[in-house]
Amino acid sequence: MRFTELSTDLAKNEQTLREIFQDCSDIVFRTFNVDPRVLLVYIDGLTDTQTLEKVVLQPILFDKNTDGLNHAYTPGEIIQQQLVAIAKVQTVSTLNEVTDGILKANIAILVEGEKQVLVASLKRSEKRGVEEPEAEVTVRGPRDGFTETLRTNTSLIRRRIRSVELKMESVTVGQFSQTEVIIAYIHGVASDTVLEEVRNRIRQIQIDGVMESDFIEEFIEDVPWSPFPQIQNTERPDVVSASLLEGKIAIMVDNTPFVLIVPMNFWTGLQAVEDYYERSIYTTFIRFIRYSLVNMSLLLPSLYVALSTFHQQLIPTNLLISIASSREGVPFPTFVETLLMEFMFEGLREAGIRLPKAIGSAVSIVGALVIGQAAVQAGIVSAPVVIVVAVTGISSFAIPRYNFGTAYRMLRFPMLILAGVLGLYGIICGLFIMIIHLLGLSSFGVPYMSPVAPQTLRGLKDVFVRAPRWSMNVRPAYVSGANKRRIPKGQQPNPNRKRGDQ
Amino acid sequence: MNKKRIVSSCLLLSLIFTSGCWDSTEVNELAIELAWGIDKGQDDDVMISAQVIVPSKISSGQGDGKAGAGQGKPFFVVTSSGMNTLDAVQKMQTKLSRRVFRGHRRVIVIGESLARHGIKDVLDTYTRDPNLKLRTDLFVVKGSTAREFLNISYPLETIPGLGALGEYDQIGTLMEMGFINFLVSASSKGSSPTVPVLVSGLNTGLSQEGEQQDSSENVDAEGFRISGAGIFDQDLKLVGFLKTSDARILRWVTGKLQKLTISTQIPDQKGNASMDVNNPGSKIQPVIRGNQIKIFVTLTGQGDIRENNARLDLTQPGNVNLLQDTFNKHIEESVLQTITKVQKKYGTDVFGFGDVIHNKIPSQWKSLKNNWDLEFSKAEVFVKADLKVRRIGVTGPSVHLMDDEIKR
Repeated sequence: MRFTELSTDLAKNEQTLREIFQDCSDIVFRTFNVDPRVLLVYIDGLTDTQTLEKVVLQPILFDKNTDGLNHAYTPGEIIQQQLVAIAKVQTVSTLNEVTDGILKANIAILVEGEKQVLVASLKRSEKRGVEEPEAEVTVRGPRDGFTETLRTNTSLIRRRIRSVELKMESVTVGQFSQTEVIIAYIHGVASDTVLEEVRNRIRQIQIDGVMESDFIEEFIEDVPWSPFPQIQNTERPDVVSASLLEGKIAIMVDNTPFVLIVPMNFWTGLQAVEDYYERSIYTTFIRFIRYSLVNMSLLLPSLYVALSTFHQQLIPTNLLISIASSREGVPFPTFVETLLMEFMFEGLREAGIRLPKAIGSAVSIVGALVIGQAAVQAGIVSAPVVIVVAVTGISSFAIPRYNFGTAYRMLRFPMLILAGVLGLYGIICGLFIMIIHLLGLSSFGVPYMSPVAPQTLRGLKDVFVRAPRWSMNVRPAYVSGANKRRIPKGQQPNPNRKRGDQ
Repeated sequence: MNKKRIVSSCLLLSLIFTSGCWDSTEVNELAIELAWGIDKGQDDDVMISAQVIVPSKISSGQGDGKAGAGQGKPFFVVTSSGMNTLDAVQKMQTKLSRRVFRGHRRVIVIGESLARHGIKDVLDTYTRDPNLKLRTDLFVVKGSTAREFLNISYPLETIPGLGALGEYDQIGTLMEMGFINFLVSASSKGSSPTVPVLVSGLNTGLSQEGEQQDSSENVDAEGFRISGAGIFDQDLKLVGFLKTSDARILRWVTGKLQKLTISTQIPDQKGNASMDVNNPGSKIQPVIRGNQIKIFVTLTGQGDIRENNARLDLTQPGNVNLLQDTFNKHIEESVLQTITKVQKKYGTDVFGFGDVIHNKIPSQWKSLKNNWDLEFSKAEVFVKADLKVRRIGVTGPSVHLMDDEIKR
């Protein structure tokens, strides 16, 4: 029905459009009684009215100029000439295209007696400047972050990868929201099978609206019930560009600064942006610390519970004595005590994020008092538990990717229960289940634990250590497509050592 | 696929029910005992004493505000006797509000009377119990009972049992190996076990140290000290004691010594000198000719001169050689003396020579093993010391001496 052709009668067209945009107070209809009559339809607020006045209205109303050949131009011709110089103009002829054009923040220019309608892009949307992302901060590295505007985001990437091989396929998702989603990849570098998978999964999404990239993420991830995220998200254009160069695929969604990167593997969750901007030796050192902290954030409370209630033999004598003396008079079993404190800690953390900044500091003070000195002195909680919970908290903050850290925070509780019920045996059972799950997991057909399992020796250069850049000369094997080699071999710095003797 | 999934999840779930929280115990429901005493009770009973810590008496930092925390002894001793060890523990449990926890036992002390009576009948539980630590140390209390010993407090340690352990560590032996070593030599025909000896009192009875003495007159208010070693025979009966210096030599010969200091008089110089020996080692070489057993013991080690009261300038190689020779001679004499003493007085092979013969000349061992203790006491022992002075300390001659007092 809506594919109907437009008529030559302007009044009729206006009537139809007014019917379509019934009760849409933000749609502006402006008629100009010049000869022939001109009608402008656009959305108030999304159009650059200044340019509109200068480029469209002025020529029609005042400049009705003729050229030397005494030929009077019709407003339609004038407009077309003027607009060509300035903005993207399309000539459309169906009603559907017109309404679409208007909804996409263009101006529809209808001229009496013409079937064709000009749809000109004079967008002026409210947008935030490019700022430093708050969630992923670095000491060294670019400070720009994605914004809500898709075009800004694509331009940030395009600025970094100036190649015709960088493709950005556009898909529209959302019945009502009509959100533009862009699948970005480097042709030849990205794996074709993964790319095809991404295209298919996104095409299959049927949803009424897309508010954030998570709407897409939840529809395309492999195992929705896994605590581990299988799709990476980032606010940083440099991360996206680097991932594209590795052969990964980025999914950019309009109106959100968070860009999805697929496929993700386990180790990505443990890599911080800065790992690639600092010298490799330092990064390797930090990575080892990070890996042990990750394990601590998962296991420390449960280990404490297991050792102190099941396996007292394993605690060094002096430590056992001091644990025993600090537990004297504490009413709860260690398990309950730890669970309680962990619960309180997570609560404080959640409260700290949700609260306005002005109240945030008060929460941290109260929190420090509640789970700190006071609880210990009151004899409700023993001091070692406070230490364990505090250290666990610190360790969980050391995980660079927020959603990966939440996976570990979540798993801490089942682990704690297993430890409280079965001791070390329970922890080992829990770890086994977790590892089996991780090994079975895959993200867009790429094994989650790769390159460790299945193992590729070259891949390990970026897992446990961060090898110097000149030695990481191939792209990750499971991700990349035909173009495997990243840099040529033999670029290790080797300055001429014989400079002295000429 | 689906069937596989169900089966595997059933298997995983069953793991949870194969164990349970029945053995979970809070730390404050345990009576943690660090030292353990065994004595001879009445009739053929065993008397067990345990030194249990009192956690609330141990300051932990958090009790700062509480009145009374840290006051009084942080330990107490419970005793009970029974048919065997576990029977006694069972009876001990009636006196304790918390479960006896033996997993952290660091020290086992044996009263002298039980040791002389023989400890073969009480040792089984210490190797059978799953809570047990094999790496614990075994001591014999000389002239007293284990129970009395456990009641003595030790000024440096809050838990006195740990004090014994520390003392033992300081004399150059590996800590927490005592019980294993004891069991190894107890189960071997070629060696007899020795056990370090503890004597109560820190400073009394110095003149008669190591000799058989009447214990009643030298019990200090607090403290105890390591005093030599107790020698057991093959029946695990205590047959006698060795002096501290003899015990040290014994450990050197058996290769269990980590470090020691040798002091000796320098002939012709009217002075003495001391040397710290690092990594002392020993080599035992048996030679059997017919009925004649000859055992060659070579002691090695490297040392630093730490005290030189003879007026020697040690920057001169000749003087260092003189010291070295003197040390070697001194060691050879005293070691031979100790070995001869053990051979003649006790006749039990605490040096493990039998094991060496077993290892090196197994063909001969068959005929010797049933009568080894007798053969041991008849064996001829030769000792050679091969100590090397590696460092002479910072100064050459003693700094406080005039130039003409120093022998170059």
